[in-house]
Amino acid sequence: MNPSLLRQLKKVAGAKSVLDRREDLVLYEYDAGVQKSLPSAVVFGENAQQISRIMRFCAENKIAVVPRGAGTGLSGGAIAVDHSIVLSTARMNKILEVDLPNLRAVVQPGVVNLELSNYVVQHGVYYAPDPSSQRACTIGGNVAENSGGPHTLALGVTVNHVTGLEIVLPDGRIVEFGGKAQDSTGLDLAGFFVGSEGTLGVTTKITVKLTKLPESVATLLAIYNTVEDAANTVVAITQSGVTPAALEMLDGWLLRAVEAAVHAGYPLDSAAVLLIELEGLKEAVEEQADAVQKVCMQQGAREVRRAKDEAQRQALWLGRKTAFGAIGRVSPSYYTQDAVIPRTKVPVTLAEIDRIGKKYGLQIGNVFHAGDGNLHPLILFDGRDPEQTANSKKVGKEIMSFCLSLGGSITGEHGVGSEKINLMPYMFSESDLEVMVRLRNVFNPDSLLNPHKLIPETRMCREITGPLPKAVVEPATGLPV
Amino acid sequence: MSAAPAIGTLQQELAAIVGAAHVGTPSVEINGVTPPVSVEPASEDEIAAVLRVAHQRELVVVPAGAMTQIQTGGIYERADLLLQTTRLNDIRHYDPGDLTIGVGAGLRLGEMQRALAEHQQWIPYDPPNIESATIGGLLATSAAGPLKASAGGPRDFCIGIQFVLAEGQKGKGGGRVVKNVAGYDMMKLMIGSYGSLAVITGANFKVFPRPRQTRTYVCSLASSAEALSFANTVLRSPMWPMCLELVSPGAQEYLCDAPAAVDPDHYVPDHPAVKPASQWQVVVRMAGSDNILARCRRELGAAVTRELEGAAEEQFWGWVRQFEYSLLQRHRNAMVVQVNTSIQGEAAVLQALEKAAPDFNFIAAAVGRVPTGNLILGFLPLSVDPPSAMQYANCVSQFRGLLPAGSSAMVAHCPKEAKAHFDVWGTTPTDLQLMKAVKHALDPKNILNRGKFIV
Repeated sequence: MNPSLLRQLKKVAGAKSVLDRREDLVLYEYDAGVQKSLPSAVVFGENAQQISRIMRFCAENKIAVVPRGAGTGLSGGAIAVDHSIVLSTARMNKILEVDLPNLRAVVQPGVVNLELSNYVVQHGVYYAPDPSSQRACTIGGNVAENSGGPHTLALGVTVNHVTGLEIVLPDGRIVEFGGKAQDSTGLDLAGFFVGSEGTLGVTTKITVKLTKLPESVATLLAIYNTVEDAANTVVAITQSGVTPAALEMLDGWLLRAVEAAVHAGYPLDSAAVLLIELEGLKEAVEEQADAVQKVCMQQGAREVRRAKDEAQRQALWLGRKTAFGAIGRVSPSYYTQDAVIPRTKVPVTLAEIDRIGKKYGLQIGNVFHAGDGNLHPLILFDGRDPEQTANSKKVGKEIMSFCLSLGGSITGEHGVGSEKINLMPYMFSESDLEVMVRLRNVFNPDSLLNPHKLIPETRMCREITGPLPKAVVEPATGLPV
Repeated sequence: MSAAPAIGTLQQELAAIVGAAHVGTPSVEINGVTPPVSVEPASEDEIAAVLRVAHQRELVVVPAGAMTQIQTGGIYERADLLLQTTRLNDIRHYDPGDLTIGVGAGLRLGEMQRALAEHQQWIPYDPPNIESATIGGLLATSAAGPLKASAGGPRDFCIGIQFVLAEGQKGKGGGRVVKNVAGYDMMKLMIGSYGSLAVITGANFKVFPRPRQTRTYVCSLASSAEALSFANTVLRSPMWPMCLELVSPGAQEYLCDAPAAVDPDHYVPDHPAVKPASQWQVVVRMAGSDNILARCRRELGAAVTRELEGAAEEQFWGWVRQFEYSLLQRHRNAMVVQVNTSIQGEAAVLQALEKAAPDFNFIAAAVGRVPTGNLILGFLPLSVDPPSAMQYANCVSQFRGLLPAGSSAMVAHCPKEAKAHFDVWGTTPTDLQLMKAVKHALDPKNILNRGKFIV
C-alpha cells in the first residue's frame, strides 16, 4: 500500500487499529478453506463511527475493503483480493444487552458465537444457530454467511434468528434495519442483508433471538452396516412425522478417523452412523426417541444407542464437531465441499461421490447434515503433489455437477465467496444475476466492498468457459409416502 | 388523443400475447381507482411480455392475485392495468419425501394445503382467506395467521422465488432445497414488498409433517396485564405451543359466525352473537399425543375455562385468522391496524389502543400472537356517530404517538376517504432511503403499484 495512503489510514482509523507489517499481514491471508491472498493492510473496526470514517476514506481513495470476522469461513469470503485491505470486526466483541423479557440479545459483530450462548445459558436461554466452528466464529461472520449448523434443522439458520442490524454502508452512512420486534413495516432489508457475504455493508450491531433451552434432550447413535440403510433412514425419519433437532451422518471411513483422534465411542467396524438429537417437552422427547429408534431398526440399523447422561451426549457430539480437525491427523490437506441435495437423493449421491473418489484415486470422507440434505464431502489429498491437488478440484467439481443435476445447490451454509463464484451461472441465469448485481449496486455501487465475491458480474458469466460435466441420473421423483 | 382508442390498442396488443379471452375490463374499485384494463397471463413468459408492453408505454401496473387484500396500502397515483396471476395455478413439483413443493403464484393456498394433506403434510401457514388467497398475493403482502407464533411467517419457509421485473426481465432467488445460501436472499426482499418491486410468478416452500392431534385451551384472565403475564409464563414454560393468541374482550364478539347482516354499520346486533365479554383470553394450541396434551393441560392449570378439539377447534382458529375480515364485514367503516412490536411492547400497544380508540369514539378489539408481537387491532366506529375522515387520521396519529420505540403500525384497512389524510404505512425502524433506492433499482420508471407501498 502506498505509504501516504497508509499514513492517512492510520490517522483515520487510529494507529493502534492498523497492521501493515508483513509478518502481521500473513495471519490474514487465509481462511479455513484452501485459498490464500495477502491483504495490503489490516484495520480493526472499533465502533460504527470509526468504521464509517474508514469506509468514507476508502471510498474516496478507491481502496477495496474486505470485512472479516474470525476468518473461519471456507469459501474465501473474508480473503482480500486485488490488494484490498481487511477490515476486521474481531475487536468489537461486546455483548451490549441481554433482554430476557423480549428474548433478544444485542451484540457487536466480533462476539464469538458460543460465547453468547455461554453468557446467557444461566438464564435458561441460548443462541440457537451452532456452526461447527462456533467456538471461534463470530456472530458478525455468521450474519454475513447466513451460517447453519447441526441444530438448525428444526430451529432454522442465522437469518431466522436475526431481527435487527446496524450497518455501515460503503459510502460511510450508518443505517438500521429492523430492531427487537420480529417484524417491521416495509421491506425486510435485515433478512435480505443476512447472507450477503460482506458485499452490501459492514455489520456493527446485531439483534438476535434467544431461544429457551429444551426441557429434555435425547441423543441417539444409530449404527449401520451399509451407507444406504443409513441414508434411507434419514428419509424415513422425516416421513414418520418427527422433526429431529439435529440429524447428522458420518460415514465409516470418517468415523474411524474421528475415533482415532478423540474417543467418541463410535463403533469402528460400521459403515455409517447417524447422530440424532431430539429436543422438547420430556414426554414428547421420549415418544419421539421410541419412534426414531423403531424407524432406524426397520431401516436395517445394527444397533441404536442412546446417550445415558450429559457426558455421553457430549462425547457423541465431540466426535461430530471435531471431525474436520481429526482429518488433519491423517491427511496433509483436505478440501471441504458444501452441497445441498433433496433429502431423498442422499443414497444415490453418496454412491456417486464414492465412484468419483475412486475414479481419481482420492479418499473422500462424508460428515454432513443429513436431515436437510446438506453434504460435506471431505476430499483428502496431498497438497505437495500437484496432480493430487488438481484432481481434488476436479472431484469437487464433479460432485457439484451431480448435485446440481438433482436440483441441488452449490452451497448450503459455507457461502459462495470467491471459491464458488464461477459456479453461480450454473444455478442462476444471466438475467437472475443481473438483478442481484443491481441490488448490490444500491448498497455498494463501485463494488469496493468485498469485490469479486458472491455475485459474478454478468460479463464474467459469459467468460466462464465450458459446461460442467453433465451427470447421468434417474428422473427426480420423490419416494411415495 | 382520447383515452378510448389508446385503451383499444392496448387491449389488442395484450390480446396478441394472452388471447382475447384473457383481456378484460375490470369492475374492481381499488381505493377509488378502477384500472381500465385487466389481463390474465398464463405463464411467466406471458407476464414478461405484458410487462414489456406496459413498461414501454409507462402504464402503471397493479399486480394482483385473488385481490383479497387489494385495498390495503396507499391510494394509487394512477392504475392503468390490472395484472392477475391467477392462471399460474399449477403445482410444479411436489416430492413428499423431500418435504418441498414448488407452485405457481396463482395457486390458492387452500388447494396447496389439500395437495399436501394427501401425504399428511402441510405448511404451518394460516393467513386470512385461506381458500381464495393466492400464494403470490400472500407472499407479496407477507400475510400470516395465528400459527406464526410457532412457525414464523412465509420468510421462514419460502425457499425459492421466481419473479418478473417491471421491464419484463426475469429473476429468481433460492432454489428447491431446504438449505441454500447461493446468491442474495431474494425471497426476503420480495416477501412483503406489496407488488412494488416485481411480479411474483412462483415460489418453492419447505413443507412439514402435519400434526396428528392438536388441542386448544382457552384460558380466561381478568385484565390485559394478567393475560399478558400468563401468556409470558406459557412462553417461558417447557411447552412449545403451536399458537399462543391473545384475545381482548371486545374481539370475542367477532370470533364466531357472523350474524346475518342487517346493516353493516349496525354495531349492536339485536341478538348478540356471544354474551358481551369482560374477560381477556389467552388461547393455547398444542400438538402431540394424549400424554403430551395431558401434561400441557396440567401446566396451564386453573386458568383453562374451555377445551376445544376436532371440528370445534378448527372452526375457532378459522375465526381467529379471519378476525380482521369479520370486523370489516360487520363494520363497513372499521379501521384495522397491524402492529409489530417486541414481546414486552405488547402491553404498551394495548394501552395505546385503550386510550386512542375511545378518545375518537371507536370501540377497541384486539387479537395477537404473543410470541412474535404481531397484534391486529380493530377500531370500530359507533353507529350513532359516523366518523369523519379526520377522526381516523387523528386517532392513528395519537395511537402511533403512544407506541413503544421500535414498534411499527400499519393501517391495513380504513375508509378510502380517510387515506388522503394520513400515511397508512407509518414509520419503520428500517432505513427508508435504502428501501426507496432498492425500489428505484428494480423499477426505475415506478410502474409497479405506484403510490401503494411505503417506497
